[in-house]
Amino acid sequence: MALAFKQETFRNDYKYSNSPNAIKRFPFPFAEDQYMYSVNIEPHVKGKTGSVSEFAFDVDEHYVGECLDKQLTLDLDRGRYAALPHMMDAQWDFVELTMEALSNDYPEHFSLKKEGLNWTWENKPLNIKQSFVFGDASTMPMDPFEFMSKQVQGDFVLLDQRDETLYADAGFVTSQADWSLAFDVGMSWREWHAPVPRATELGVMDRALKYLLNLQLGSPVRRLNWTMTVNPRLDTSPENYPLWGTDRNTVNPENVADKVHLRVELQSLFRLPRSNGIVFSIRCYLMSLRELSSYPRWAKRLHRVQKTMHPDLIEYKGMTKFHPMMVEWLSQFDDGSAMAVGTQPE
Amino acid sequence: MERGYWIRSKPVYTSLLWHEKATSHLVVAQGQGGMAVLKLFQLMHPKQAITVLYTPYAEADYSKTLVKVVPEGLHILETEQEVLAKLEIVLQGMCMGMRLYIAGSEDFMWSVAKVANKFGIEDAGMMKELTGTLARPIYCVHCKATTHGVTTNIGECSGCGRMLFVRDHFSRKLGAYMGLMIDAESPGELPEIEEIYP
Amino acid sequence: MSMIDIKVAAVEQVTPLVKHFTFVKRDGSPFPAFSGGSHVVVSMNVGGRVHRNPYSLMGSPADTGAYHISVRKQEQSRGGSVFMHENVEVGTSLQITYPVNLFSLAKKAHKHILIAGGIGITPFMSQLIDLNRLNANFELHYAFRSPEHGAFADQLKAICSSKLHCYADSKGERLDLLALLSKQPLGTHVYVCGPNPMVVAVIETARNLGWPENHIHSEQFLSPGIGEPFKIQLAKSNIEVHVPAEMSMLEAIEAAGVEADYLCRGGVCGRCEVNVLESDGALLHHDHFLTDAEKAAGKKIMPCVSRARCDRLVLDL
Ligand code: HEM
Ligand code: FES
Repeated sequence: MALAFKQETFRNDYKYSNSPNAIKRFPFPFAEDQYMYSVNIEPHVKGKTGSVSEFAFDVDEHYVGECLDKQLTLDLDRGRYAALPHMMDAQWDFVELTMEALSNDYPEHFSLKKEGLNWTWENKPLNIKQSFVFGDASTMPMDPFEFMSKQVQGDFVLLDQRDETLYADAGFVTSQADWSLAFDVGMSWREWHAPVPRATELGVMDRALKYLLNLQLGSPVRRLNWTMTVNPRLDTSPENYPLWGTDRNTVNPENVADKVHLRVELQSLFRLPRSNGIVFSIRCYLMSLRELSSYPRWAKRLHRVQKTMHPDLIEYKGMTKFHPMMVEWLSQFDDGSAMAVGTQPE
Repeated sequence: MERGYWIRSKPVYTSLLWHEKATSHLVVAQGQGGMAVLKLFQLMHPKQAITVLYTPYAEADYSKTLVKVVPEGLHILETEQEVLAKLEIVLQGMCMGMRLYIAGSEDFMWSVAKVANKFGIEDAGMMKELTGTLARPIYCVHCKATTHGVTTNIGECSGCGRMLFVRDHFSRKLGAYMGLMIDAESPGELPEIEEIYP
Repeated sequence: MSMIDIKVAAVEQVTPLVKHFTFVKRDGSPFPAFSGGSHVVVSMNVGGRVHRNPYSLMGSPADTGAYHISVRKQEQSRGGSVFMHENVEVGTSLQITYPVNLFSLAKKAHKHILIAGGIGITPFMSQLIDLNRLNANFELHYAFRSPEHGAFADQLKAICSSKLHCYADSKGERLDLLALLSKQPLGTHVYVCGPNPMVVAVIETARNLGWPENHIHSEQFLSPGIGEPFKIQLAKSNIEVHVPAEMSMLEAIEAAGVEADYLCRGGVCGRCEVNVLESDGALLHHDHFLTDAEKAAGKKIMPCVSRARCDRLVLDL
């Protein structure tokens, strides 16, 4: 199906909405009535046609708007991009992975021509055409990783594997749920995950790391993570917390359904061939409570999940101020009857 | 402690002890860290060569005693800057198996660590003893400036003037704790400022 | 595990005991690039039994047209090396895994010391090409029995020039590890691959000199999770399932047409957990999910990675 890219903004006037199709394919994360952290990692295999996991990297109706928002955020703060010097091989691995995936999966929008190491990349929606020599950074207008991160929705972290752990040694991060690349760059798995409550005690983090250290080339994996965000804002960074923090005070019972958004991250991880590193892709999907409630099953499920949320998670995810209003609004969809396991909308 | 749980990026410091297996030893200390060095020299001395770089800080000056106790390889320097400059020179001549020991404030230790990193010495390859003060270096996540010697739960950023909540989340690369604007959600409303890192 | 179908494009006798094989993909498409120090597991059918042996990839990591491995004939073992030497020829079809790297270069190292003994040279062949490309500071120390056993010495000379140091045992040449490792600049990493005594000697020497553990690297091959075949009874479905050596319990259960839950297929998520109703032998737990106490209790098993050594094992499936 041909994609129609929308004109959108993710700040100030917030011109953002989901089409009925985008709502239907939204990666709703709650299969059960209760939520706690777990090692919810599964093979990143091809999903159903039209689903967000049909392809390695999902391109949807928000593509152009999100890419413009990335550039805006980066222009205001160069610290959103970082790459330590030993990550150059991983940068090229990333270029190869994303260019090949996008051009194979969306040939009407992207094309890649190769003659030996002479490559030509064309991105029609963003109107970019670039010829370069693969492996020679001087033939690129900027770092190869920066070049391609700007052309794929979501955030990316390149990880170096050494000393039996992973290090976040490069990243392009403009749509994060409240963590800072400039602060976290160079950290190890345990260090950057340090602020997450309860997960370490549950053993979730150690098991997930062991699994990732054995991640195989050609067998990527994925997981979903989620939070709630006030307004459809991609850049909820600690850097700009002074800009968006007060938004949490603006939620009231009248606007809660339109202001509060379920923010789901489709996270996928790929082993990289030349560098033996890993790329961590964090793709963000936003949907207001009102949009979500067009499928009452989802609203009913979200009500139960939120009502029983662990207080540490409410605090960690920054929901404290509007959580009761959200639960109250969602309660109208919950008749108390039992629900089958599953994330399906109907 | 923050919000009732322990943040595991916060460094844990130990007491200095000689490594038996080594090609040489390098001890770098500041101020009250001189006491940690004296304690080291109370222990049996290793066979390999020892170099000590020391700078007094404020009232804490162990130079005179160190001169008596350290047999050779002692360098007393006036300032932290001089220590770091001397360190660069000393490290150039050293071989794998050199053991690095650091004692002083967190600000001082992580400045030394930064120089050592340039020579391929990683965090795990250094032994650190926190002495004298719990004062913290704070990285402002908003303006990226680092403020040194913060002793309170909330400190003013030396770069942008915002009042920063001092988190336990620590970056070894920056050598600093994260500082996050405390009153972003309710401008002007500051909780009580207390000295908790004297 | 995803596998790649390959065929043998060339075979070359390199030394009296070592053969070099060139693989291309059966469908003619390029292989993935890989990183220096990677290996693939070659799967071969030896008289009805599947053998899976890991071999280092030797060629240039950038050459995606062909993969190269070298195999030393190990007469005393029943393993696949004899099969590779005697039964594999140009045109033979085999399956290999995607490359895996358990011996990667430390990218932040200021200098690399590579120490090889005999056939232990193979993982370094691809690393050397990476090191040269990155303009890295390195030395290769290569010890072998006698000059005719110094596989690839000429090729190495071309890649490394003065950075290559060879030691032929037959000529009385010895590598003095203590001298070598006691005068390396800060930020050096050492890598060793070769016979066990050599690996141990390098590790011990470096440790005794005070090298940090994470600057000492040695190649250690972990076979993929295969084991002895065994049988299981599925109580709810009321069938018996044979688990062959090269299949996981989960795969065998699925092949028998029984639906089982799974998510990661790697022993971490916990989704495939099943209750053990009866067993008369040892459960071989390979997962990272169950606690040690649960493993010891023997009431649960993760069929995606774990196995059993017993005559009777009844699962609640
Ligand atoms: C390897 C790539 C990964 C990177 C770079 C990464 C990074 C992060 C970061 C920066 C945070 C925010 C921490 C903060 O508050 O400052 C986070 C949160 C978290 N991560 Fe990861 N992560 C990775 C993979 C995983 C995986 C595979 C799991 C699987 C269990 C996981 C589980 C979590 C959880 C449960 C949280 C808390 C999220 C929330 O409640 O919103 N992470 N991660
Ligand atoms: S499928 Fe995840 S533990 Fe077995």
